[in-house]
Amino acid sequence: MFEFLNQQEVIKTIVTIGSMVLFFVGLFGLLTRKHIIKIFISIAIMESSIFLLFIGLTFNTDFIAPILDNTHVNVSNMNDPVPHAMLLTAIVIGMAVLALGVSFAIEYFKLTGKTDINEMNEMKH
Amino acid sequence: MSSILFIALPLLFGFATPILSKFGKNGVAYTSMLMQMFLLYLAIDLVSTTSSYVEIISIAPPLGISFVLNSASLFFVTIFTFLITLFSLYYLTHRKTDAYENETKFFILLNMLLASSIGLVLSSDIFNIYVFFEIAGISAYILSAYKKTPSALEAGLKYLLTGAVASVFLVFAIALIYINVGSLNLAVISQSFEALPYNIKVLISILLLIGFGFKVEIFPLNFWVTDVYQGSSALVNALFSGIIVKAYLFVFFHILYLFLPSGEFSVFLVYLGAVSMLVAEIVGLKQTNLKRLFAYSSLGQVALIFTAFAMQNKEGIQAALFIVLAHSIAKFIIFLALTSIQGEHKSIHIETLKELNSPFLRAIMLIAMFSLLGIPLFAGFVGKFLALKSFAVEGMFVILMIIVISSLIESVYYFKLSGYMFSKGKKREVLNIGSTQKIVFVLLAFLLIFIGIAPFMISNFLGDSANILLDAKSYSDMLGGV
Repeated sequence: MFEFLNQQEVIKTIVTIGSMVLFFVGLFGLLTRKHIIKIFISIAIMESSIFLLFIGLTFNTDFIAPILDNTHVNVSNMNDPVPHAMLLTAIVIGMAVLALGVSFAIEYFKLTGKTDINEMNEMKH
Repeated sequence: MSSILFIALPLLFGFATPILSKFGKNGVAYTSMLMQMFLLYLAIDLVSTTSSYVEIISIAPPLGISFVLNSASLFFVTIFTFLITLFSLYYLTHRKTDAYENETKFFILLNMLLASSIGLVLSSDIFNIYVFFEIAGISAYILSAYKKTPSALEAGLKYLLTGAVASVFLVFAIALIYINVGSLNLAVISQSFEALPYNIKVLISILLLIGFGFKVEIFPLNFWVTDVYQGSSALVNALFSGIIVKAYLFVFFHILYLFLPSGEFSVFLVYLGAVSMLVAEIVGLKQTNLKRLFAYSSLGQVALIFTAFAMQNKEGIQAALFIVLAHSIAKFIIFLALTSIQGEHKSIHIETLKELNSPFLRAIMLIAMFSLLGIPLFAGFVGKFLALKSFAVEGMFVILMIIVISSLIESVYYFKLSGYMFSKGKKREVLNIGSTQKIVFVLLAFLLIFIGIAPFMISNFLGDSANILLDAKSYSDMLGGV
């Protein structure tokens, strides 16, 4: 019944629409939320949506994993490994930045007790 | 094999710092400075011995990492290594009185910053650019929040938030580029980018502009800059304003020239830069905190560089490179001087300048301000003059007007500052500056005057760099064979 879902075009359309919805959910959160941790979560959602889009559009379900060994020497039916390698790096970097941000937020909270981004105005006085 | 050293040595040093610190307290500070001096020597050696130098370091295709060192990137590498060496020299004296806590970490961050700024400039692979973009960002966030006071942490948080958002947009752009072009190499992308469908091209350009716009401090994405400068210590601000912004500016326009050699969006970017400059200077007028005031001045100058780069012709780029040099040196002087003043007076309010009792610092700061203002016989004048000339030649008189008006507004607060510095009244005790620090200041000020008097000494080199930057075709031919 759901076999039509296996077609490349359908998968790519679903991935594109889904990840764009996620992206705008993240963007909405980034612009409207005031709690610093929620803002970080919104950024994480935006990032994930980009990763999803990238993998979804470059991945072909008919192809196999790009691992070269004695039995698999034909490269033409393998998926492109570059996006995967790239995204692993990007995910790690994104994680590191968010962890650093949360650690700043915790230190800041310990000193001032504030979590609202609008109340962060040490510079004004 | 020399260009790989510019990235490898500082990276290696950064990672080796924890081991080096076992050999004593001063070991890291001195070895780090020696390493930077060696890099400076390499850079100056390359500048002086070869007229138009091109070196490609390429690691075989499966990895496909390549770095390109030509006149344009060599110019930036020389500025970065020169400034960071002087920074380390200054810090050697500074650390005796006001050292950072956990100095080892500070040196790791400093060298990471150097490695990533040079990496941004040399890289010819858009994903490597993203990685260096993030390394530079992370080191800058930590340096900004280093003191762990509420305002420093707030500055770090704001810097990190905007940086994280910027990197999301950059990854988006890179993903779209890879999906449409099928390569990450700048040379390959450059060959097929202009032929892409118009909608995709505009979308990618907008995403890149947003991603880099946060980092090159362009209006309206520069709301965070002044808070970050005010919250961070003045010492670190010198690095932000002198090195990091310049690296981002270079890489943004490098990518722009390669992707869109015909300059489709050039006029839009020129107006964007001019408006940014006007806004920055107008808002800067009312500031009373010195760090914040010079942050606005930085915004204005960076916007001027942006405008000149966006002209996308040889004269404009040459002017931009002159302003890059003059602005980096002048802002280094200003922020290092502010560090000395803050260390003594414990305040950075504009009134502090009235009590400043150090003829040496006053003279040095005045030279830097004159250069920023663009008074003849100082380096800033050459850049501003060339920029105005290139606008006039292109017939962009609206831009010319905006730049002149912004410069006039800028002059108001510089004259106000110099009025404060030379006002009569109660003075503090004499501010002591170490002899090493004096050498640093004098060297920087001398360079400003030297370039102002003899711009012809470097104008050929800069013209050459501008030509190389503009020549997308030979860049892709050169890398295409590898």
